[in-house]
Amino acid sequence: MSRRNEPRGLNPDSGPGPPNSRKNATDNPAMPSSLNHSPRQSPLLLLVRINLLQAWRRVKSVREQSRLLSSLIGLFVVGYLVLSFWLFYRGMKFVETFPGLGTLLTERLLFLLFAFLFVLLLFSNLVISYTNLFRNRETSFLLALPVPAQTIFRWKFLESTLLASWAFLFLIAPLLAAYGLTHRVPWHFYPATLLFTALFVVLPAVAGSWFAVNLARYMDRRVFQVTLLATGALLLAGAAWWLKPEPITDDMLETRVLAVLDRLLMKTRFAQFPLLPSYWLSAGVLNWSEGALTTAGFFILVLLSHVLFFGFLAFTGMGQMFYDAASAVQSRGSVLGRWGWFRAWQDRQRKFSYKPGLLEVIVNLAPRLRPDIRALLVKDIRVFWRDTTQWGQTLVLFGLLGAYIINLRHFSHQLTNPFWVNLVSYLNLGACALNLATLTTRFVYPQFSLEGKRLWIVGLAPLGLVRVVKTKFALASGASLIVTLGLVFLSCRMLKMSPERTLYFSLTVTVMTFTLNALAVGLGVLYPNFKEDNPSKIVSGFGGTFCLVLSFLYIVVSVAVLAMGSPWTRGVQSSSLLTWGWMTFAIWSLLIGWLPLSLGLRKVKTFEI
Amino acid sequence: MIELAHLVKRFGDLVAVNGIDLIVPRGEFFAMLGPNAAGKTTTLKIIAGLIKPSAGTARVAGYDVQTQPLEARRRLAYVPDFPFLYDKLTPWEFFRFTGQLFQMEEDRLQKSARELIARFNLESYLAKPIEGLSHGTRQRVAIVSALLHDPEVFVIDEPMVGLDPHHARVVKDILKERSLQGMTVLVSTHQLSVAEEMADRIGIIHVGRLIAVGTREDLRRQSGGDGALEQTFLALTAQEANVQEERAAWSES
Repeated sequence: MSRRNEPRGLNPDSGPGPPNSRKNATDNPAMPSSLNHSPRQSPLLLLVRINLLQAWRRVKSVREQSRLLSSLIGLFVVGYLVLSFWLFYRGMKFVETFPGLGTLLTERLLFLLFAFLFVLLLFSNLVISYTNLFRNRETSFLLALPVPAQTIFRWKFLESTLLASWAFLFLIAPLLAAYGLTHRVPWHFYPATLLFTALFVVLPAVAGSWFAVNLARYMDRRVFQVTLLATGALLLAGAAWWLKPEPITDDMLETRVLAVLDRLLMKTRFAQFPLLPSYWLSAGVLNWSEGALTTAGFFILVLLSHVLFFGFLAFTGMGQMFYDAASAVQSRGSVLGRWGWFRAWQDRQRKFSYKPGLLEVIVNLAPRLRPDIRALLVKDIRVFWRDTTQWGQTLVLFGLLGAYIINLRHFSHQLTNPFWVNLVSYLNLGACALNLATLTTRFVYPQFSLEGKRLWIVGLAPLGLVRVVKTKFALASGASLIVTLGLVFLSCRMLKMSPERTLYFSLTVTVMTFTLNALAVGLGVLYPNFKEDNPSKIVSGFGGTFCLVLSFLYIVVSVAVLAMGSPWTRGVQSSSLLTWGWMTFAIWSLLIGWLPLSLGLRKVKTFEI
Repeated sequence: MIELAHLVKRFGDLVAVNGIDLIVPRGEFFAMLGPNAAGKTTTLKIIAGLIKPSAGTARVAGYDVQTQPLEARRRLAYVPDFPFLYDKLTPWEFFRFTGQLFQMEEDRLQKSARELIARFNLESYLAKPIEGLSHGTRQRVAIVSALLHDPEVFVIDEPMVGLDPHHARVVKDILKERSLQGMTVLVSTHQLSVAEEMADRIGIIHVGRLIAVGTREDLRRQSGGDGALEQTFLALTAQEANVQEERAAWSES
């Protein structure tokens, strides 16, 4: 492999090692000279260097593997940046048009957005730190080497911070660019925001890793699942209570706009709590954009002092905690096991019975299902339930969407204009489908590849691979249909839509659910990866990226076609528009869903295990 | 040398290692045998410092694994049953990386690596990414990287997994040579032939307890038979199972 293109500092010949050692290393042509640095160096730097080299080669291999894949990824990134910039720019321009309120609204929106992103970053850091520290083979490998636990923690902390924060940077870059353009900020605003953001991401990273270490220390899988469900329910209840509707009459809206706005914005004041790191970021960015550089500098210093303090704690004091937690995770026992009631409950859970479990009893109730299909269904449902990541992410994504849709009822009084009702209904459909696409790509697409590891049992069973694929498609579609149909039905209820419109949206989301699942299953069979055990690595290959891009394209085109052909767009029922929209949608769905699935099934018929 | 004193490891209610006392002196080749889930891998993980013992101590080359972890690990090499390797690196880069983590001098690293690479016939794989190597070659890479720093104590879980007969022989020869030169070797295996051929002493673990330790002859005497190691092993584990059953019956009554 050519070393010319590798990152600076990775090429040994430019390194500071003793000349004779460099010569020795290149004496033997079979021994590539990469990494021939002076051996006495910090283990942390070594780890950073080795992982940078790995990452660089991964990127290179994607490029070498398929030009189509790298072009697809490039197009997707550019498309996202352009589209999101345009949306943010138009949105900010629109908000600015409110006389006297534009600036206030924009500022409040920024405070709110950064506050929510802070919470999301915290959550993302927690999940990634946990996986990286305790479910990672590199960590176990390093723990047996003479590398201090503190150094391993430092490296994993840096890696997790990067992994958890890149999406945040990707999300806010077009937003800040749009903000800068609408407010005609000076050029130094852009590098300053970079500095603010770089400091800001450290704080949720420290908090996330601290939570992850303590979760690992004190909770086993079952306790974690229960806590996650309870916390989710509590958060939903808290949000519902916090966002309970304000009684505002039409009369008030016409005569006392400022007073109404003030009451509405009361709910968003939490985002301006001065001890929130997101407040320091928002206030700093806003002050810099307005030219108040001294105040902005103050917020930089506030962020910097916290980063130095908490960063120092993480870099110097968490190694032993991490080692204790790593040992606890490998030992599996939970500290809750010290309580008798917990041990008794665990014993009851572990009690073995030859009788079929509840799940099997329920699946057996389904009529006309062959026993082998039932067995596959039961296995897949069990695997899904026991993988906290799968249902946890499903819960978070659809839970947030559900919370938003339920809250639509508070606005239904204001949503009297048919244009807005129509717009919101199609946006809801799009959001629901986008959520589903994320999950089908992440969890349904890798199913066949993962099953490939067990092909010796599933593939050789008299069931046949065709039926395996069909069953997976049916199960994934059925399960996701319950959620998508429920959410769309709820959306229609909240928007007080007529039964025929509810039926229209229900049918639409049903078709979309089957199509997205068919696409994920079909492409999963067409582009299998039997080498990987890790589903996220399977998804990051060509097929997974292709699946995500096609899913998003399908949703955007479908929603656009249906909205254009919507008989309610102009408030007039038109059967020709409806037929036109639906015909196009149906053909498009067949092309995107049925085609890859049938190609996949054809491939499976002649599949060589 | 390896010293285990009253070693206990509990996973919740399950006692995986139950009071193991063992000393493996310098230069000894010790094989640890036992049925599945006997506690062999857990014992090895405690020695490597991957998990903490619930009670007791483990010392490597005189250093307590828990209180002096870095000193202990500097003198230890541990190869698990499925060793982790960086897939996008080449074997040569991986050897250098591990050597550097052990703070090896450049000359020593070069010399040691070249010698082991030649012994394990890895020359033609040095520039290839590890992800493309076969299971057996990966195992050879893992063993070479573990031996690079010339450890005082070498602990390996199932050393022959995936190795062809030729390279299995190479591994056996190198481990025997090194043990004769003073390296303490602790091998956990299900392959009785490895223990029979290589080990100075054999320990049999059953349900977390070290039920028998000694030379092949000692174990044969202890089992009361005169057959091969297989018969000895089966007899000893069966005896222990009977003792356990009797104890359980006694405590129930």
